[in-house]
Amino acid sequence: MSKSIKETLLGTLVHGEEILQEIDLLTRVSEDKILHKDHADAVLKNLHPKELHLVVGEIYDTHKNAKVFRFYSKDGYLPPFEAGQFLNIFVEIDNVLTSRPYSISSSPRQRAYYEITVARAVNGFVSDYFLDKVQVGDEFTASTPAGSFHCNPVFHSKKQLMLAGGSGITPFMSMLREALEAGLDKEMILIYGARNAQAAFFYEELTHMSETFPNFSYHLVVSDDDPSWTGERGFITGELIARLCPDYMERTVYICGPVVMNQFCEDQLLALGLPKKNIRREMFGAAKDITQEAGWPKALNGSETFKITVNGDTVIEGCAGEPLLSTLERAGIRVNVCCRSGECSLCRVQLVSGKVFLSKGMLLRKADEKYGYIHSCKSYPITDISIRL
Amino acid sequence: MENYDVVVIGGGNGGLAAAATLAEKGKKVILFEKHNIPGGCGTSFRRGRFEFEVALHQLSHMGTPERPGPLRKQFRRYGIEEEIEWIQIEELYRVNFPDGTGLSIPVGREKCIDFLSREFPQHAANIRNYFDTVYAFCAQANDFSEKSAQSTGEPGEFKKFVMKKGFPKKYPVLAQYGLKSSQEVLDEFFPGCPKLQLALSVYWCFMGMRPDRFPWSILAKCTYIYMEDKPYYLRGTSMMMNQAIMEAAKRMGGVVQLNCGVQKIIVENGRAVGVIDERGREFRCKKIISNISPLATYGTLMEPQDVPAAARDYLKPYTVGISALTCFIGLDCTPEEIGFTTSFTLNYESYDANGDFMDAYKLLPEKDPLIATCYTVDDRQVSPEGTSVITAGVLKYSEPWEKLPPERYYEMKYEAGRRIVARLEKMYPGFTSHIEEMEIATPLTHMRYLNHPGGAIYGYEQDLRQSVFFFPAESKLPGLEFASGWVNACGFGPNYTYADKVAAKIAEEV
Repeated sequence: MSKSIKETLLGTLVHGEEILQEIDLLTRVSEDKILHKDHADAVLKNLHPKELHLVVGEIYDTHKNAKVFRFYSKDGYLPPFEAGQFLNIFVEIDNVLTSRPYSISSSPRQRAYYEITVARAVNGFVSDYFLDKVQVGDEFTASTPAGSFHCNPVFHSKKQLMLAGGSGITPFMSMLREALEAGLDKEMILIYGARNAQAAFFYEELTHMSETFPNFSYHLVVSDDDPSWTGERGFITGELIARLCPDYMERTVYICGPVVMNQFCEDQLLALGLPKKNIRREMFGAAKDITQEAGWPKALNGSETFKITVNGDTVIEGCAGEPLLSTLERAGIRVNVCCRSGECSLCRVQLVSGKVFLSKGMLLRKADEKYGYIHSCKSYPITDISIRL
Repeated sequence: MENYDVVVIGGGNGGLAAAATLAEKGKKVILFEKHNIPGGCGTSFRRGRFEFEVALHQLSHMGTPERPGPLRKQFRRYGIEEEIEWIQIEELYRVNFPDGTGLSIPVGREKCIDFLSREFPQHAANIRNYFDTVYAFCAQANDFSEKSAQSTGEPGEFKKFVMKKGFPKKYPVLAQYGLKSSQEVLDEFFPGCPKLQLALSVYWCFMGMRPDRFPWSILAKCTYIYMEDKPYYLRGTSMMMNQAIMEAAKRMGGVVQLNCGVQKIIVENGRAVGVIDERGREFRCKKIISNISPLATYGTLMEPQDVPAAARDYLKPYTVGISALTCFIGLDCTPEEIGFTTSFTLNYESYDANGDFMDAYKLLPEKDPLIATCYTVDDRQVSPEGTSVITAGVLKYSEPWEKLPPERYYEMKYEAGRRIVARLEKMYPGFTSHIEEMEIATPLTHMRYLNHPGGAIYGYEQDLRQSVFFFPAESKLPGLEFASGWVNACGFGPNYTYADKVAAKIAEEV
């Protein structure tokens, strides 16, 4: 067969004949490279599987208002994670498919199970379900562990200060268990704020750890006026931090707790002169009562209802005080979701018309702001709105 | 079942441009994108106070408003030129050498010749000669590709014979240099002067191919295009550009489905006739444009018996290209405070770029040339006042990362990050103490987000046998076409403009 015009002309180039011969040879000797189905999934399945299929193996009380759940993998394998990361667990309650991110509290050094701790929240749709309904043997789907609230040893200090509030202790349990059990070269101070000693989680384990390991110390700070409490009292203020942890300037500080506590602690640290780069915050879900957030429109009390038009055709009812994502889920409209804290952007939707209140901490891209994209997990309708998924 | 003129698979640079062009031409088009955001490689992500650019360093093909290049013209047609704030970059790049010295290359042919002639006076004549050759090569290559675009079908044997004789005479520079490697040409012009060679060969890293395998024709084209059309950046990262194209496509009547990939291409009687999306809905169409790799298009979206044997053979000589290991870093200081002066830098550990490149096959960064870009130098508003955004990374093949036991992944990822930061610390003392945010992406990260085999960021290997004249652009299945960087020059400018051409041709057919 005669050569094509393309080959003929390329053959006149310096090296042309040689390269054409190489290509011809490669075509004859090379293997078929067309991929098999799910190629990338097969490579990544042990590191970042698309989703996890979990079964509850054990449940135990840590506390009168909280339980620890141990999840095992149905297929026998759980991927590695970084201490401090969370699992987004999907639940179906009363025919509503929703999810909640829970920090893993077990150490990443063992992966027989992942452990989470669920504390009862006021009107907690999902926490009530976990605490009252879930039993050993129940099955769940979860996202693979995610989140950036973890140590980055490239620039974080070996000296760590952990500030926890309420159930915000859970990621620290994972970090502490890993560091202490594996003997990592770290020096850690935990200051844990709780209403009273009974409300503090993992009290015995943390006390035991601090007595056993010289590189860890633990301070419980109690806010209720409890005459029997002899330890630290009040809130986690700058004064308290400076007193319990005089070398705070040399430390990377991790904060995890309710939104209000989180902000308070960061402000206290900045006032102490700590650079922003030394402060790592976990966002920890949506605000309990959004109407309390700065900037919330005074005319609204959160109970107002608004029309939400989805993709131009479906109309549902939303409530000013409820995140748009939850409203969509209740209506059975599926939206991708992971962190539910405004950061990961999976639940991003386009706001075509109307107004929403954007809760603090939403990490929008500049393009999102320009073209009207919002993260539905932390957006609250304050007029009738129209969105596009 | 719904009917469309064209279904586009994948909302990366090529898919977005193809959808926008088809919508502009009044065609009924729908684009499917698996992710929650458009852009593919051309995207951004947030950490703390920072938004990190993932892929774009310098946008080519733009030209100035007065002398618009092909990309600016395309964006004008989409109506998005004015929507975006374009930033013209004043210096092409800076090369830093192991002895602590460096060269910042200015934009503009004469400025560049003057600058290099002052730095390397003994090579002054050859520097001018080199740029003349670059320009002559590009002129001949453009002329030839315009002429071949007009010709249709295979000529007869006699005409072929005449053309064969005439070609080297009509296109002498093209015939001489069209299939030489960058290293071969630079050795010819600047023997024994590695500094000057490195100062001129930088664009090899834009395509992930070391100079002794990197087609000089691509190097020449990059040099020419960036000199003439000027390098650009834009406010709001490449995500802004891709979101703008997506919105333009919608405005012009196109449909874009985010969070919804295609699960299957329907083949009937040896022809692609439609797709089934991830939600199980069926869409029939006259043409499918795939913006994902041909390997995944045939392999993961079609039943094995539907894949044409010709496609298997056609793709055999092509090998999946390189990935990257990148640190995305937010600093709590200005670029000046640490001494970063040119946005785009290439940093060498020795004068042997080809030898150093071989570390790309290893797991961890060693002597790999380090590509570091400080976006704040060109755009003061890219991050909050008094902060800077830097991405610094090396090119890496994915194989050692694919073989790494998962339990060692995080440890190795941080070790890689530590080594890259140590290199930066050496060049910019105090660097580490200013890090406020840092995320590390490995070849596996790229694989996870792009779904590309090998976590490839430039598609196939861009070497002499697989690129330029040999891109695997042909489809072997009627009804299916390709528009991605896997089948043509990858990158932003080349990919947008290529997809525009593919879409314009299809618009005439459907």
